[in-house]
Amino acid sequence: MQALRELTEVSGTLQNRHVDAWKRQGKKVVGFVCSYLPEEILYAMEILPYRITGKGAQDTSHADSYLTRVNCSFARACLELGFTGRYGFLDGAVWINGCDHIRRCYDNWRAKIPFAFMYMLPVPHKISPQARRWYGEEVLRFQRAVEDHFGVKLSPERLAEAVSTYNETRSLLRRLYDLRTAELPPFTGAEVLTILSAASSMPRAEYNRILRDLLEEAKARSAGAPDRRVRLLVAGSLMDDVDFIANVEDLGAIVVTDALCFGARSFWNPTDESGDLLENLIDRYYEHPPCPRMTGAYPQRLAFLREQIERAGVEGVILQHIKFCDLHGTDNALLKRDLERDGIPVMELERQYGPLADAGRIRTRVQAFLERIGA
Amino acid sequence: MPEARRNALERMVETFQMTSTLPEELDVESPPVKALLATLTETQRNNFLAMAKDPGVRRMSVASNAAMARYWNEVLHARERGKKVAFIPFNCSPEIFHALDIVPVGVEVLNSFAMVLEEGIHEYLDLAVERGLPDTMCSAQRGVVGMLEAGVIEKPDFLINGAAGSCDPNSKIFEYISEKWDIPAVYLDVPYSHDRRAIDYYTEGYREVVAALQELSGNKLDQDRLREVCELTNQCTEIIMEINDMKRQVPNPVPNYYNLNHLVQKLTLVGTPDALAFYRKALEVCEERMRNGLHVLPEERIRLIMMYTGIYFDQGLHYWFQEEMGVSYLMDLLVFYDFNPIIDTTNTDTMLSGLAEGMLNLPMTRQLKGSWDMPANWLEDLLLYVERYKADCLAFTGHAACKQVWGVYRIVADEVRRQLGVPSLRLEGDGWDSRVSSLDVLKEQFTDFFETLA
Repeated sequence: MQALRELTEVSGTLQNRHVDAWKRQGKKVVGFVCSYLPEEILYAMEILPYRITGKGAQDTSHADSYLTRVNCSFARACLELGFTGRYGFLDGAVWINGCDHIRRCYDNWRAKIPFAFMYMLPVPHKISPQARRWYGEEVLRFQRAVEDHFGVKLSPERLAEAVSTYNETRSLLRRLYDLRTAELPPFTGAEVLTILSAASSMPRAEYNRILRDLLEEAKARSAGAPDRRVRLLVAGSLMDDVDFIANVEDLGAIVVTDALCFGARSFWNPTDESGDLLENLIDRYYEHPPCPRMTGAYPQRLAFLREQIERAGVEGVILQHIKFCDLHGTDNALLKRDLERDGIPVMELERQYGPLADAGRIRTRVQAFLERIGA
Repeated sequence: MPEARRNALERMVETFQMTSTLPEELDVESPPVKALLATLTETQRNNFLAMAKDPGVRRMSVASNAAMARYWNEVLHARERGKKVAFIPFNCSPEIFHALDIVPVGVEVLNSFAMVLEEGIHEYLDLAVERGLPDTMCSAQRGVVGMLEAGVIEKPDFLINGAAGSCDPNSKIFEYISEKWDIPAVYLDVPYSHDRRAIDYYTEGYREVVAALQELSGNKLDQDRLREVCELTNQCTEIIMEINDMKRQVPNPVPNYYNLNHLVQKLTLVGTPDALAFYRKALEVCEERMRNGLHVLPEERIRLIMMYTGIYFDQGLHYWFQEEMGVSYLMDLLVFYDFNPIIDTTNTDTMLSGLAEGMLNLPMTRQLKGSWDMPANWLEDLLLYVERYKADCLAFTGHAACKQVWGVYRIVADEVRRQLGVPSLRLEGDGWDSRVSSLDVLKEQFTDFFETLA
């Protein structure tokens, strides 16, 4: 699996060779933190959107002086990587007021280690026509700020190209997720998370090329896991931690789908390519399967989970949240109630972000959960 | 927990009725009163002394408690009187509800007053977690969730939340209550910035909330009734500003406990005659104290501002500061009301705009919606309040659920110190849960900190 190896290499390296190649062409790289950012706007202006995560932070000792013990370990890990210069290759960063933790990560980052271009794109916390108008205005302001700072211009032609490229990614990832519905899926959940994680760390056209190859190669590939395993869905807080999924799968399960902002939630709905593309793009991001930050949108979140459970033949659900993530933690309590009413076994799990943090406890709990399901 | 407890509101009404009959001439040092106090728990005793020892404080507390007794009684009997009940957060002005003949219940106010119940609040905080809520959710509302779970309060008719954008736990808990008990909820989005465009956006959202309230309650907004409410609010605002002016005096004649009474009135009754009666009484007491040169005892040594919330689980801190430590508790952020405008009562349109702008300037919404150093945000307000009220120091309770505050405490505190030379103390407490840091622990930490200021 040459394609999988390539994506694994990208996913495992912050400043990967694709980023280097991009920069060697004199082009800019801008970090971002949330699935509510219309990446296509940057991409269309030949700026590489690069998703900031805490991947690779071995501890958070510097960040903890500013973001504290009651702040989420993902936000602290991101800040730690910022403080230790690991994101020095970025030419700027755009934040979303996604949650209290990440917006405070922005505040500290801006106060202590600002990039020349630091931007906060505020997203409303509800879904309504009025809030949609506000979000649209904010996206346009963001576009102008990028144009002003980097001396670039968003052209309709380049935007159309970017929208098409990103839609192709979505379509390819949907095919990848279709493969996961098989009795013996060709990829493990850990492998899929690796594939997903690479998407926001490299130029999208190149990613699509590798993804197409991967889907071709998958035809000749035997099952990712050799035997029939308990089919799980993972949902909840931000998750790009491949080792976490591998740890779960090690115990006799296979993750066949998700409702994560690094996963299905980020690519499930495409952008309408007819009519006013910029407006369609704004609609697409505003209406993508909502994060628990969007108040009053719980029914949509539950419906999305039910859809994923149904199509992937899920036998059990892990609802995880990073400690102090009140948004997901609270949603998970409601989802557990409703999914169990549907007859789906559910495990709620509080975790820390980081390299196999708390791995022993998590293994014990997952093992007990799998036994409960009857594995 | 016992099988069935009596309705919490009934018991709260009784408590406030009792405490609204405290006699003018009450000597807390007299043997019968001391004997009575000895039968109370330490927290109950602290709370009683905080409101009753000083004669002036007692007079204003009697006015506040009498208003609260009537208010909780109204909440208790709302349904039989054909009124709807709305749960709201503390950053949602009550006026529009009074104008629409809806009874607003501030979730944090109910949560705080539940502490007068004989069982206290801990079991309700814990029950909410046992039934699913993360233990990191805010104890300012979690107790109410526990009370709903325990069946000691009735569920409201609808929920209005105005914290979406300024505090995740606050808005999320409303969604949780809505989904768990199948109660309609309306959310008001708070913009990240505070310029004209943001105010207009917020005002438009506020108007949508008002339309939703009319639909949910079946009541129509009447301009004359709204004007009556807004005029009462304006009179209260003028008195609040007058008392704030007195706080600038050194020493400060305004008693520490005023802040708590003021907060309660502002969150529930502002816009009603009862609130105005309280503020008039408070002004009278403060003027009298100023005339007589009264201040904290034995003398004003330290002027303190709490950077965010205060400690609500035991009023012993107020009492200790006022009666023993010479600490003038100027304010906590929850009584930062210097930016509430006088409402233009020309017509419905101007009044709704005024109410919306007032709400956008309410504590927390104003200071925590955007970035720490933006205009009309936390740093700017702290710098202004410290200077205006001549504070010697700041303290942050470290309320565990305030993750967004914890996340910028250090850069804000560092900047206040850099610009004004005013130090701050970071505690690790919880405003509503004494088990996180007890009153004794907090007192020790304050004592150590105050010594460094000498």
